[in-house]
Amino acid sequence: MLRYVLGRLWQSAILLLLVSFIGFVVLSLAPGGPLSQFALSPGMTQEQLDRIAEQMGLNRPVIIQYLEWLRHMLAGNWGVSYRDGQPVLKIIGSHLFATLLLMVTSTILAVSIGSTIGIVSAIRRGSVFDYTMTVLAMVALSIPTFWFGLVAIYVFSLNLGWFPAGNMYTAGDGSILDYARHLVLPAMVLALVDLAIWSRYMRTATLNVINQDFVRTARAKGLPRRRVLFKHIVGNALIPMITLAGLQLPTLLGGALVTETVFTWPGMGRLFLDSLGYSDYPVVMGLLMTSAIFVVIGNLAADLTIALIDPRVRLE
Amino acid sequence: MTDDPNRNSPFRPSRRTALRLMGAGAGALMLPSAIGRSAALAAGADATGQLILAFSQEPTVFNPFMPHIEVDEGIHFAVFDTLFTFDPKGELYPVLVTEVPTVANGGISADGLSWKIKLKEGVTWHDGTPFTAEDVKFSLELPVDPDFRSWRTTGYNLMKDITVVSPTELTWTMTQPFAPMAAVLGSTWIVPKHAFDGVADRNSAPFNNAPIGTGPFVWKERMAGDHIRLEANPDYHGEGPFIKTLIVKYIPDLNVMYTQFKSGDVDVVGLQWITPDHYEEAKALPGKTVEIAGAGSFESFALNMMRPQFQELAVRQALYAAIDKQSIIDALYYGIPQVTETYMPQQSYYYNPDLPKHEFNLDTANKLLDDAGWAKGPDGIRAKDGVKLSFTNSTTAGNHLREQAQQFIQQTFKEIGVEMTISNLPPAVMWGEFWMQSQFDTCIVGMNTLLGADPDNSDYFMSANSAARGGAGQNTTCYQNPEVDALFKQGGETFVPEDRKPIYQKIQELIRHDLPLLPLYQYAVVKGRKENVTGPVPNVNNRIDTWNVNTWKM
Amino acid sequence: MSLTDTAAAPRQFIRSRALRRFLSHKLALLGVFMVAMLTVVCFAGPWFLPYDELYIDLRARFAPPMTGGHIFGTDPLGRDLAARLFHAGQVSMSIGFAVMVIATTIGSVVGVVAGYYGGRVAAVLMRIVDAFLAFPSVFLLLVLAAFIKPGPAMIALIIAATSWMEVARIVEAEVKSLRDRDFVQAARMLGLSGRWIMFRELLPNAIGPIIVAATLTVARAILLEAYISFLGYGIQPPLPSWGNMLNGAQQYLQSAPWLAIVPGVAITMAVTGFNFIGDGLRDAFDSRTDLK
Repeated sequence: MLRYVLGRLWQSAILLLLVSFIGFVVLSLAPGGPLSQFALSPGMTQEQLDRIAEQMGLNRPVIIQYLEWLRHMLAGNWGVSYRDGQPVLKIIGSHLFATLLLMVTSTILAVSIGSTIGIVSAIRRGSVFDYTMTVLAMVALSIPTFWFGLVAIYVFSLNLGWFPAGNMYTAGDGSILDYARHLVLPAMVLALVDLAIWSRYMRTATLNVINQDFVRTARAKGLPRRRVLFKHIVGNALIPMITLAGLQLPTLLGGALVTETVFTWPGMGRLFLDSLGYSDYPVVMGLLMTSAIFVVIGNLAADLTIALIDPRVRLE
Repeated sequence: MTDDPNRNSPFRPSRRTALRLMGAGAGALMLPSAIGRSAALAAGADATGQLILAFSQEPTVFNPFMPHIEVDEGIHFAVFDTLFTFDPKGELYPVLVTEVPTVANGGISADGLSWKIKLKEGVTWHDGTPFTAEDVKFSLELPVDPDFRSWRTTGYNLMKDITVVSPTELTWTMTQPFAPMAAVLGSTWIVPKHAFDGVADRNSAPFNNAPIGTGPFVWKERMAGDHIRLEANPDYHGEGPFIKTLIVKYIPDLNVMYTQFKSGDVDVVGLQWITPDHYEEAKALPGKTVEIAGAGSFESFALNMMRPQFQELAVRQALYAAIDKQSIIDALYYGIPQVTETYMPQQSYYYNPDLPKHEFNLDTANKLLDDAGWAKGPDGIRAKDGVKLSFTNSTTAGNHLREQAQQFIQQTFKEIGVEMTISNLPPAVMWGEFWMQSQFDTCIVGMNTLLGADPDNSDYFMSANSAARGGAGQNTTCYQNPEVDALFKQGGETFVPEDRKPIYQKIQELIRHDLPLLPLYQYAVVKGRKENVTGPVPNVNNRIDTWNVNTWKM
Repeated sequence: MSLTDTAAAPRQFIRSRALRRFLSHKLALLGVFMVAMLTVVCFAGPWFLPYDELYIDLRARFAPPMTGGHIFGTDPLGRDLAARLFHAGQVSMSIGFAVMVIATTIGSVVGVVAGYYGGRVAAVLMRIVDAFLAFPSVFLLLVLAAFIKPGPAMIALIIAATSWMEVARIVEAEVKSLRDRDFVQAARMLGLSGRWIMFRELLPNAIGPIIVAATLTVARAILLEAYISFLGYGIQPPLPSWGNMLNGAQQYLQSAPWLAIVPGVAITMAVTGFNFIGDGLRDAFDSRTDLK
């Protein structure tokens, strides 16, 4: 087992290295760059831009820049933003709360509602409810998140006026209730895709449990149906659920990016788009690495959980 | 406007005596607001209330000497002070100095090379340290520090022998006459020397993210990606401030910003303002003041003069005649911007009002091209000597209104047998080498080529200033006209505004005639604030709303 | 040749059974119907409209649906939304298909090579697959799109660059499981080249999962095009795509909601259609379905 874990860790490290290299090269080889934003300032000249580029070390070969970035990165220094000179980690940290708030809320929504739908669908397999939910889940997976966001804004904000159209809180307010009001629409929108996935997953998991002997036995012993189901389904499905959560991370991050854009949510997705717009490479790289690390950890957790349950994997 | 002769005469040296005066404004005038210092001194302590000012971009650069964009200056004006700066009429008024130096008051020598300034007494930094001439000397030298990532060196690199005569007096000499120096100083915010004491790398000084100034507002905190909180400086040396807490809120989406203004969550709508399509509705909002304000930038259809298609004047004239400017302004921009024929803001003292007026006329355009020998080919596109009248047009992808105007222009060009292909680019690519090195055919661009109220923009139009030809400026259309070059040279060495005016008006006339860029309109924006907020005043000579934030009240 | 015949026989058997299953899958048929309808409307529709998708008429800006002969209304430049929607559909669906072809090709090649050779080759290839998967695709797409001159071909390539990994994984797993089967062993003993075995023997046997993945890739590509065009990095005007028709629609959500609703419904229909088909195909090719 230890060997397997070490092997997977080693592979993950190589993976991150590869990710960083691809990301860095793509960014650096791109035309334009961080100085573009200054070009239209009054009185800006090519001479001044050249001087700033020299100062920032932007005219060195890409590979040198990459190695230097990597060296700093390995030493725990993620660099500083081109825009405000703040350490990248600090910037990402300051946007983390907003994104986590959104992601955690929407995951809770998705897991609770999605699981309920999934379990009920499984118990009533073949019913109208089951069939409707199957179709709805597929449609939900096909709706572009941002468009769903626009429709939600149109209906619930512009027409009904129930919720604000964007931002995390009202300037000058900021009470918990105010946050909650702002959170409803984006969390709902972000939860949609996950909800569909979770309901599908729980349906399958429940079906597997229902067909297992011990459930039949328990029911035969006369234990109440609901209690048996709940105990066994939750007990058996929990670990794979964590796995699924891990594997769902990239989708969730990507979805958060789009949702944050539509709802002007001040999180990491918004930061990513802003930083990309200003060619703030250190921050863009930092965000790419952060999401890659999350994804790799998610995958690793999933793999290790499977390996724990299923010894055959380790031997491969 | 500024050409009221009586108003400025007491301050203006006679032409005979003043060989060289400060370059920029129509003379140095002290505004009442700046004079009434003693009366206003107590205001900062009595400041009340909280004002929320929204920007659609996020201010991130707080050291005013480091590379920044205009939204950053929104904070600079609140936290720092300049020595003097421009009022809406283009005249300089003193801020940290007792009076704006002129030849008449002995601040500038007759040859324009020796400068002497006298600072106000009793000014302190936000941390209580006294403000002295040493700070000014430090600030003027910082931009040319070779290890410092400075915004620009223009002007500062001509200063030498900066000498602190006393804690409130400073002198320096210029290595050559440089008329726009006053405009440079007009946007030079003074930073404290002591904030950099013992700092090894000035590029990463703690000061850069926790600025200390002498300005009307004290830096409190920044929530990155969200807002910046500033508090009234109770010891401010000038008028005001009258507001206790100033929150600068970052709202990246203009619709959300407008919605929050409508609902009263935002007190003043700043940079990028209210979108034109909301103007009618905004005007009718109860309890809000919504008005159109001129801005210093102008929109134009820039041609790359190195391309064979654009060599002939007739082609450029025909293209200009085929742009339905009025429809673009009236329909797409809801009539808000003003038609213009030049880069010079109409509020400027140097604006030339007598330029020929553009007329949209496809017949004229067709005739110009027919007469010049550009005949339509079988595909309906005109060509001459193997050169097809076909080119790409680029602008910033994602600027919706401009993209709409662009597609509209594409259609009218097609009607005169000109093929324009749209190839828009993300901003980071668009304004990189693509623009600076003239890699485009044509561009739609909005820019302000002027430093403050100074009329000199030789960097944009002098032949030698094209980067694509090895020059150092931003003449990206690669425009070349020896007569314009000579006039720019003359203007840069002339210091009396009355003498400069005809020179720069002539330049505008020549550029209007040659059409290296087809002028579309001068920007105007829809500004909004709550009715009870007073103070925000448009100023085409300063880039951002907060230029006079010390006088804002609510 | 006898070898391929023996391999082909069960393949045909699988196919006909799969077809039968697919045809009895209601959702899949609904999907086929939706996609077919959209395709017909988008490609034939413009002939029946009096308006050109590029013709600008500023006097007719923001006409609501069903006015002045504009069934879906007009956009901020007074262009007919229906004409734009249909042309946009041609663009978006063509991109979807182009992505499918490119991504499936790359994915199949990578997958079959990794699966056949195994060992170090597989390790390297599959780690690259993992690396691409480790970027959330929208992130990678935006980084790429932000710096590349956006045209339909480029956008298709970029989306394909983020969509081939699934196919590669599926094919690799499939090929790995087939590698040691008899007909492959026999082919090897006959001295057939690796390339022959990979592309003539192994790949055809993995065709079921590949078709499923390819169908889902079309759906995914249409969605991704919409994402990046919505964010302003995709297809550039005046060429319409379903995504760029939505770009800027947010601004007019209150005054002209049809600008957002019409293209969104089209995207959802197309993507749903392909997902239904994909789901049907998966069930059809999955031999276990019969057992359920």
